[in-house]
Amino acid sequence: MNGIVKISWRNVWRNKRRSLVILMAVALGLWGGIFATGLATGMVTQRFRIAIERQISHMQIHHPKFIDYDEVKYHIPEAAELVSHLSSDDFVMSVSARTMASGMVASSAITAGVQIIGVDAEQERATTRFDEFVVDGDYFTDAGRNPVIVGKRLADKMKIEPGSRLVLTFPDMQGEIVRASFRVAGIYQTTHTQLDELRLYVRRSDLQALVGEGEPVNEIAILLNDVEHLSDVIAQLKNRYPELSIRSYAEISPEVSYMQEMAGITYLVIIIIILLALAFGLLNTMLMTVYERTRELGMLMAVGMNKKRVFLMVMLETTFLTFTGAIVGILLGGGTVWLTARNGVDLSGVGGDTLTDFGYDAVVIPELHTSFFLNLVILVLCTSFLASVYPAFKALKMRPAEAIRKD
Amino acid sequence: MTKVIRTENLTKVYNHTVVPVHALGGVDLEVEKGEFTAIIGPSGSGKTTLLNMIGGLDHPTSGRVFVGDTEMTALKESKLIDFRLRNIGFVFQSYNLIPVLTAKENISFIMLLQKRSKEEMEARAIQLLQEVGLTDKADVRPQKLSGGQQQRVAVARALASRPQFVLADEPTANLDTQSAFNLLDIMQKLNEEEHITLLFSTHDQRVIDRARRVIKLVDGKIASDERR
Repeated sequence: MNGIVKISWRNVWRNKRRSLVILMAVALGLWGGIFATGLATGMVTQRFRIAIERQISHMQIHHPKFIDYDEVKYHIPEAAELVSHLSSDDFVMSVSARTMASGMVASSAITAGVQIIGVDAEQERATTRFDEFVVDGDYFTDAGRNPVIVGKRLADKMKIEPGSRLVLTFPDMQGEIVRASFRVAGIYQTTHTQLDELRLYVRRSDLQALVGEGEPVNEIAILLNDVEHLSDVIAQLKNRYPELSIRSYAEISPEVSYMQEMAGITYLVIIIIILLALAFGLLNTMLMTVYERTRELGMLMAVGMNKKRVFLMVMLETTFLTFTGAIVGILLGGGTVWLTARNGVDLSGVGGDTLTDFGYDAVVIPELHTSFFLNLVILVLCTSFLASVYPAFKALKMRPAEAIRKD
Repeated sequence: MTKVIRTENLTKVYNHTVVPVHALGGVDLEVEKGEFTAIIGPSGSGKTTLLNMIGGLDHPTSGRVFVGDTEMTALKESKLIDFRLRNIGFVFQSYNLIPVLTAKENISFIMLLQKRSKEEMEARAIQLLQEVGLTDKADVRPQKLSGGQQQRVAVARALASRPQFVLADEPTANLDTQSAFNLLDIMQKLNEEEHITLLFSTHDQRVIDRARRVIKLVDGKIASDERR
């Protein structure tokens, strides 16, 4: 076996130029594939993290009818007690109780349909770090009456700035239309600019005072310490509050969960396509090698090298060729991902606002998981096997008596 | 004397479905242990075909080949390969050494296929290198050896497995006079001192002069068989 390994390895370097060309092809193909996968994985992970940590949270609780009708009157009964219970749960990191109403916003310039979200400043800060999104003006302060924080895209459209006055119109608990004047306290910008255009944030107490009838809460967003506990917490809550709608992020926003699940498979498919293309290059190289060495292979078979060993020799040679290129490609690809992950890759110049329109961060931090590299090694092994089978069979079909005399 | 090789009514017809070419037409041959035999004849007379049949590299159309007591023509492919490995040494016209191995590694390779111990391989390779006068070239790869030196390594390789006999197909055809004489000296010495059975196919008068038995093939049949 050692002798076959030695010959196979030395055979790889018999035609250095040809071997280096195919090695470079494998290395560059994998380099590109690994970096593209790292970039895409980073995008999806960031999108997932943003969706969980800055938008949806791990789970949300609603009145069941609120989900369908989106009306303030469908509020969570005894919400204060529920929030208190959740806040004392060891698995819960933070809770944000929101009062929500759909309505219109009017400035001196235009009118637009919006969702008005009443939040507790501290709860929202702890749950979505919303204060960090404020790019102009201030986050909620105790001072001033009816402050509102407006998305940048809406603010630009409405030509408003901190200090501007807006009129919000929305139905109260009885379904009567309420109009109230608000002052723009700040302008926010998240990574999902389409949502920024639709959502206005006000103080929960201000909104509750306007819609009347106690302190209605329509949504409780919950951020857990660890997503691992999600199913347990949901099960406990469903058991305790069977009349409420308690949903995980995957139920609220299935596309986020689906995207994460599909991402891994999609990138593997991309790598498989790259490796398949490389497999044809390898196959061609190995076929050339086998044809060039017809006389030598004939001699080996004549002197007593059995078919198993001939097959093994061709396979080992292909494997060495593939893996040498793959190691270089993995080092280059992994190195590039590691280097670019330090500061991220700014894609704003490439994608413009398109990325942020769909909730992606324009600065992507590439990342790769260990499982990806394990899968990659298995795929490389399969590629080398596929590329070697046909040349190896060609070698086996040679008849020593004829092969020895081939020029 | 022990019979090493025996053929019975050996025939070989190529392209028998299109235009039949009768390469061998019923060859009966016996070679005894320690014989130095040259098979001669004009091109197309069937020398190489006969050597291929005796070496188990090709199958006869009819007839049988025995090596010792084993009917080689009855062996299945896998058994035949192993039989060749353990019983037959080959020397080819174009040396056919493995270019990525050194002279010593080329010699050891056959023993490696036979799964001999590392120590045995090392000792035998060095001994054979001494016998062919190439001790100083042990670690040199074939492309840095002359044609004559490569062929001497090929002879050492053929002997490495301690075969029952060595088949040499035109071994001196690519060698200059001095190299050919050197090679023949070595082979003759091995034949005389170690009673190694040698069977050559050749056109080369230098080989014919050294042979103790000369078989002439004409049109695939033995035309003469002369012992000296």
